Amino acid sequence: MGNKQTIFTDEQEPYCSLLCRLHGRFHELAPHLVPMDYTDDPDVKIPLTLIVNMPELKENPFRNRIVESFSEDGLGNLSFNDFVDMFSVLSEMAPRELKAIYAFKIYDFNVDNYICKEDLEKTLNKLTKEELTPEEVNLVCEKAIEEADLDGDSKLSFADFENMISRAPDFLRYRTLVTEIIDMWSQA
Amino acid sequence: MADEQRSTSFQRLSSDSTVSTGSDDSYEYYQTDIYEQLPSTLTKRRWQQVEQTYEVGSCEYDLLPPSIDRDPHQPLNMLPLCMQEKRNLRDRRHQERLRIGFWASWRQSQQIARRRLREQVGRFFSGLLPWKHTLHKIEGRFGVGVKAYFVFLRYLICLNLLNCAIITGFVLVPSLYHKSWEDYKSDNKSILHIFLGSGFLEGSPLFYGFYQKIPLFFHTGMGTILFLSLIMIVRRMVVGYKHMWLMGKHFSLNVSYKVFYGWDFCIQDPQAASLEHSFIRNELKMDLEEQRFRQKVSERSMKQWACLYFLRGILNFVVVVLLCGSFTLIYYAIISAEKKESFHWTVKLLMNYLPPITITVVNFLLPHVFSRISMFEDYFLTTQLNLTLVRSIFLKLGTLAIYIIFITIQNNTCAENEFGKEMYKLTIFQLLACFCNTFLIVYLKRLLAEKYPSSKLARMIGIQEFVIPLNVLDLVYSQTVTWVGVFYCPLLPGISTIKLLAIFYMKKFTVMRCCVPAQRLFRTSSSAVLFHFMLLLGLIMSFVTIGVNSIRSDAGCGPLGNDTMYSVMDKFVKTLPISAQTTISYITSEAFIFALILAEIIILTSFVSHGRANRKTIERLKDMLVMCSSDKRYLVKQHSTWLRQRYRSSETEALGK
Repeated sequence: MGNKQTIFTDEQEPYCSLLCRLHGRFHELAPHLVPMDYTDDPDVKIPLTLIVNMPELKENPFRNRIVESFSEDGLGNLSFNDFVDMFSVLSEMAPRELKAIYAFKIYDFNVDNYICKEDLEKTLNKLTKEELTPEEVNLVCEKAIEEADLDGDSKLSFADFENMISRAPDFLRYRTLVTEIIDMWSQA
Repeated sequence: MADEQRSTSFQRLSSDSTVSTGSDDSYEYYQTDIYEQLPSTLTKRRWQQVEQTYEVGSCEYDLLPPSIDRDPHQPLNMLPLCMQEKRNLRDRRHQERLRIGFWASWRQSQQIARRRLREQVGRFFSGLLPWKHTLHKIEGRFGVGVKAYFVFLRYLICLNLLNCAIITGFVLVPSLYHKSWEDYKSDNKSILHIFLGSGFLEGSPLFYGFYQKIPLFFHTGMGTILFLSLIMIVRRMVVGYKHMWLMGKHFSLNVSYKVFYGWDFCIQDPQAASLEHSFIRNELKMDLEEQRFRQKVSERSMKQWACLYFLRGILNFVVVVLLCGSFTLIYYAIISAEKKESFHWTVKLLMNYLPPITITVVNFLLPHVFSRISMFEDYFLTTQLNLTLVRSIFLKLGTLAIYIIFITIQNNTCAENEFGKEMYKLTIFQLLACFCNTFLIVYLKRLLAEKYPSSKLARMIGIQEFVIPLNVLDLVYSQTVTWVGVFYCPLLPGISTIKLLAIFYMKKFTVMRCCVPAQRLFRTSSSAVLFHFMLLLGLIMSFVTIGVNSIRSDAGCGPLGNDTMYSVMDKFVKTLPISAQTTISYITSEAFIFALILAEIIILTSFVSHGRANRKTIERLKDMLVMCSSDKRYLVKQHSTWLRQRYRSSETEALGK
């Protein structure tokens, strides 16, 4: 299993197996890049193209945006910490607020902290595989913004988005990639 | 009306702005100097930086956006920071904990332990739920609506199991303890008796007559079951209603919900993914359809409205006629079933089962007729569905009520036993009907469609979809029958549990093997309230039945014997100590009950007025937000215009010099 105990403190022993499994998944994505031994905390990043082929992400229309929003350089290259972060947020145990923050980042294609009409159009096209007519897309985007926009600037800020989420009863269910419980931070 | 106000203020906003509202303008707005200096922009920037600083160590806890609760004991997994930051925060918290006193740190650790215990207990209970894998598979292939049906079925199984456990503890065990076994006559045991509930089953624990010496236990047990069911149903109904209210009336038209929450992230199968894509596409297309329909409705002329109302009146009349017809049919079935002369045993069985057969056939056919009728009435799709559901609910509860009334009217020795038998027969027949429907109708249709796909018959039958609302209504109806019958046939929840388990597997077979995924995703939100309301009505019906029957109490059979309920309670109260007796007499006096009702009315009124005031405040705050935002934009624009003018004038001055 390797000498990975140095990353964990004593309290994290129960989560050791979970982290080892995740590390196994990380390793099998790029065996030549990822070392089995993380004692010296190497700075290894896996490119976007390898990560989006994971079975959990392959069929997701937002897979590129998901990986980009968890990477620190914004281009989709994930280190192991980012990888665990991603699975932690997208697991069953992550709280609603955290999922909302990342969901907002995923839908914000031009990364300007607002979901504008163009972002919505791209979202819609990815959702429907571009099978709606441009006129229908336009109508749907306008209606969505009209419903959710609270401060009248015809863009959705995070506050607008969060307000919309608070009214949805099953938001949590739709944002769960894995049903394993990745809850390493319950110690503190 | 609040919606219209909001939309007009939104329009006012876009027409009021001094310059064109093209994208150039907003680009300018967000690039101005003063915009960069606004406090709201600065907070957002700092938050972004925190996310991206990966270097170890000195990130400031203060840089989190103000909306995040600054509670130092907030669990780390709730914070939107990257892993490295969380690790640093955890180390810092550890150090802090070493600095504060013993008492405070003990309290903190107790809080954390309690929270973790709660989480673990929650996880344990959700892990106990059976059939998770099956439900996940069904969700992947057929969508959320069909899964909701199976989740509801599982909920009913658990409810019945709980009721069964309570009955065993409160009723069965004490009566078995009291009962002397010499009284138990075992006659000829034949299959016929199992179906009819007669013969050896008559004196068995199945029916009311068995429980002779334990009036208090019996009634307490039954009361517990019914009140527990009432509490669970009301709670479920209130939660569902709250969601519906929060989401606004036309939630199914809420497009933003579909765009942002439409995709289920758990999908890994390419087939399921393409299914989900087509679901979302159809939903959105249907929403646009409904919008166009609304447009059309608002443009209807007077003459069209008159024609439409006339048509709707006629169709409603047809529905009423159908309902009355079915009620009369059931009446005749009950009358003819009374002549239970001993013919050949098959005829006897058929005669005994004639009322349940009629009821089941009527309940099966008429809802489909209703859904056809509602197609002609030119309503929105959701209204059509709800109207069909309301009519079907009326049909099912009505037939059950008529059946109960006619059974109670008949004069029998030990009427409670007869009543219990009828409910028992109804339950057994429902199971048989489901079995026949699954294997003889649905499966055969599917086989026909598969073997001879191009034959005329197959094309006439068409492909089968799992019609969720009518199936849920069946479940609700069977639960109503169980509740109505539990008082007279105490083992009915147990039988019901077995029946529901069988139905689970049969429906699973139907869905997986014989149905194709529906093209329209069924959103359960608005109809869920109707289903829970029907459950509640069923429970009320059982209360009423028990009340009426206990008033016209018969002689001799069952736990009460020759006493009434009132005299039994009286005897029990006299055995309690004096202080308890005086307390009970105060509680049951008129003055106390009057005061209680008055207090409830006052509390309700205060809640309602509170809610109304809150709603008005929300509207006012929304308008204020729009106004403040437009003020901000105006000010920023003016400021940048003024700056530019000053810059230009200072330039021309410099050039001039």
